[in-house]
Amino acid sequence: MSALHVSRRQMLQISSLLLASTALPTLAAAQNLPKGGRLVVAADSEPKNLNPAIVASNGVFFIASKVIEPLAEASFDGKDGLEPRLATSWESASDGLSITFKLREGVTWHDGKPFTSADVAYCALNVWKPLQNLGRIVFANLTAVDTPDDLTAIFRFSKPTPIQLIRNALPVVSSVLPKHLYEGTDIATNSANVKLVGTGPFTFAEHKPGEYYRLARNENYWGKDQPHLDEIIFRVLPDRAAAAAALEAEEIQLAAFSAVPLADLDRISKVPGLKVISRGYEALTYQLVVDINHRRKELADQKVRQAIAHAIDKQFVIDTIFLGYASASTGPVPKNASEFYDADVPSYAFDVERANALLDEAGYKRSGDGTRFELKLRPAPYFNETRQFGDYLRQALAAIGIDAQIVNADSAAHQKAVYTDHDFDLAVAPPVFRGDPAISTTILVQSGIPAGVPFSNQGGYSNPALDAIISKASETIDSSERTKLYNEFQKIVATDLPLINVAEWGFISVASERVLDIADNPRWAVSNWASTALQP
Amino acid sequence: MKLIHKLIRTPEGIAGFVILAILIIISASASLIAPGDPLRIAGQALLAPFSDMNLPLGTDRLGRDVLAGIVHGARTSLFVGTAAALAAITLGLCVGLIAGLAGGLVDEILMRVVDAFQIVPGFLLALAFVSVMGASLPVVVIAIALGAWADPARLTRAQVRSIRERDYIAAARVIGMHPAEIAVRQILPQAVPPVLAVSATIVAAAILTEAALSFLGLGDPNTVTWGSMIAEGRNVLRSSPWLSIIPGIALVTTVIGVYLLSEGLAKALSGTHAALTPREGERS
Repeated sequence: MSALHVSRRQMLQISSLLLASTALPTLAAAQNLPKGGRLVVAADSEPKNLNPAIVASNGVFFIASKVIEPLAEASFDGKDGLEPRLATSWESASDGLSITFKLREGVTWHDGKPFTSADVAYCALNVWKPLQNLGRIVFANLTAVDTPDDLTAIFRFSKPTPIQLIRNALPVVSSVLPKHLYEGTDIATNSANVKLVGTGPFTFAEHKPGEYYRLARNENYWGKDQPHLDEIIFRVLPDRAAAAAALEAEEIQLAAFSAVPLADLDRISKVPGLKVISRGYEALTYQLVVDINHRRKELADQKVRQAIAHAIDKQFVIDTIFLGYASASTGPVPKNASEFYDADVPSYAFDVERANALLDEAGYKRSGDGTRFELKLRPAPYFNETRQFGDYLRQALAAIGIDAQIVNADSAAHQKAVYTDHDFDLAVAPPVFRGDPAISTTILVQSGIPAGVPFSNQGGYSNPALDAIISKASETIDSSERTKLYNEFQKIVATDLPLINVAEWGFISVASERVLDIADNPRWAVSNWASTALQP
Repeated sequence: MKLIHKLIRTPEGIAGFVILAILIIISASASLIAPGDPLRIAGQALLAPFSDMNLPLGTDRLGRDVLAGIVHGARTSLFVGTAAALAAITLGLCVGLIAGLAGGLVDEILMRVVDAFQIVPGFLLALAFVSVMGASLPVVVIAIALGAWADPARLTRAQVRSIRERDYIAAARVIGMHPAEIAVRQILPQAVPPVLAVSATIVAAAILTEAALSFLGLGDPNTVTWGSMIAEGRNVLRSSPWLSIIPGIALVTTVIGVYLLSEGLAKALSGTHAALTPREGERS
């Protein structure tokens, strides 16, 4: 009996792996997957505002992406790394001043009204551009959206806008809201922000604060034979240790976003019936970065920054802190972003002797007790790993004679100290790479950002050559030209070291082996789960 | 000397005395047992205890020596415990003495302040204080003392109010002794013993509060403490439980040691106290 059970499970595992790794469209796969069932998922937070068009963050998308869909979703093998959702095609005019979206036919909102180009035009001008955290940058030059018919939306820009940027940003910035529920109301306080109405494969059924969110199957979904599940329950489990225990007790079937601590993964991977999956987060890469305050005279010296880079053993960080679930960074663009990634940049091997020599050269000799100078180090409190890296960095710096004093603070105090008051010498930060340098990594090195903007260059670094490249890239409409500019950008950052990129990591999902067809796109945890199924 | 003699005659006293003596010796010689920075990375990560004789208690998530953490942590725990208790008792004695002697409005005001500190849970007060001031060793000591000084203050005041009515105080007044001299030389020595008896409990509570603050990440991150070791170990509790258990045992041993000593001290003091206090004074 048990032998049979195992072999069936293995077969399912192999078949789901095959499905995930081939270029088969999901429709072909759909026929083999079981129908129905209730998927129970661990959720670690309850966002106050669930509207993904206003708050484009992973915590919101995790729940809302099943209800409200973007124009296009990220894809492993689709053209330009995209898979059509509410839009079926997108094309840019040769002057870069307009982009035409063709929209999907026969889509209805959960309340029965038809989805049209008017919804897209309304959202672009009234929500994405003025209200959304990322849309503000991406659609900064958007002036109008023309709707010649119900299925065409033409975005018009006042300055040439690179289609490459729009494409990369689409999955994150383009969640479409129903115009008929938002028009004429205060968008920020509309009740539909918590009781979502969308076009997605699941409808928003109920939210019991402190307990769960319940999403129910949308019978009129446009995707053929989708979704497979009847229901998704997001059970609120704020305690990380609880998620692992709930998985083992089969109370939940999925814990995404590394809800199970890395240190527990080795043990949990041996639990029968559970699988550990690191796929499905490729477009949600976090970067482990050492922010540097260039106002400190020692740190303004490039040799000192190089010495610090040489003092960090990236392999140790990956093996011991991330337990292998990360990879070493070479520069400000992660390897996952293959469109932009350039490996041909200066690298800094772990070499304590070289680091010591560089510091000696820079004129900071060791004093009697072996220290050269003191620094204030602020590790970001958001992840266990950033705090542990802070502890490690202190030791790594001690080896080259820099006495770093760690200052811990809660999230609010940390953000104020680093990004508003500049009360740090070194800070450990985990910025997110969002698919395009223009909306993620450039803000970390660009000059002229006012104090108080979180997760931006607040280290006082200013390099006119780098600023010129960043602003030129924002108006270069030719994709390969633009990519070249960002290759140049990576070289300058890796040479000058305005900050030190240490490692990059994605999240880990732990799921019951009964959950099928998961991690089939690079933003899987925050995509619509229309093809996800549950083995009864 | 007489007190120590009495103390070690009680079984609790001798047990507590021995435990604490050992801990004090360990923390005094921490740099000999485990030289260098106890937070430095000493070997392979997550080494189990007794598997490598150079690192007898194993290593933590980053490969730091657990033994070094324990012996250096003993120093932090004992220092914070004693310093916080000393600060709390000193402040409590002063406030209690002034309130008890002055009486009237001053007494009222001081006692309402004491009330205010007594109704706020000491741990919450420490938590709030450290969050605002930033975590460092002196701040932690002050934070714990802030939550602990009210009890000794009340106790001292009650003692002082009873003592100041006694005949020998009246006699001292009659022979023209300065009030300050009466307070310090006549009243204080009689008021101190009961406060001393609760002092050990304050030390134990201070050690636990420090551990709890470090556990929540509000200790000084640049010194090793048992609380922070337990907190670090919690992440790998299922796979490497010793990382929490070893500092836990150290913490429990210390607190039991202090508690036993306090029991012994209370017994010894009640004997001394009875012998020194003239009963007649109360009857008059």
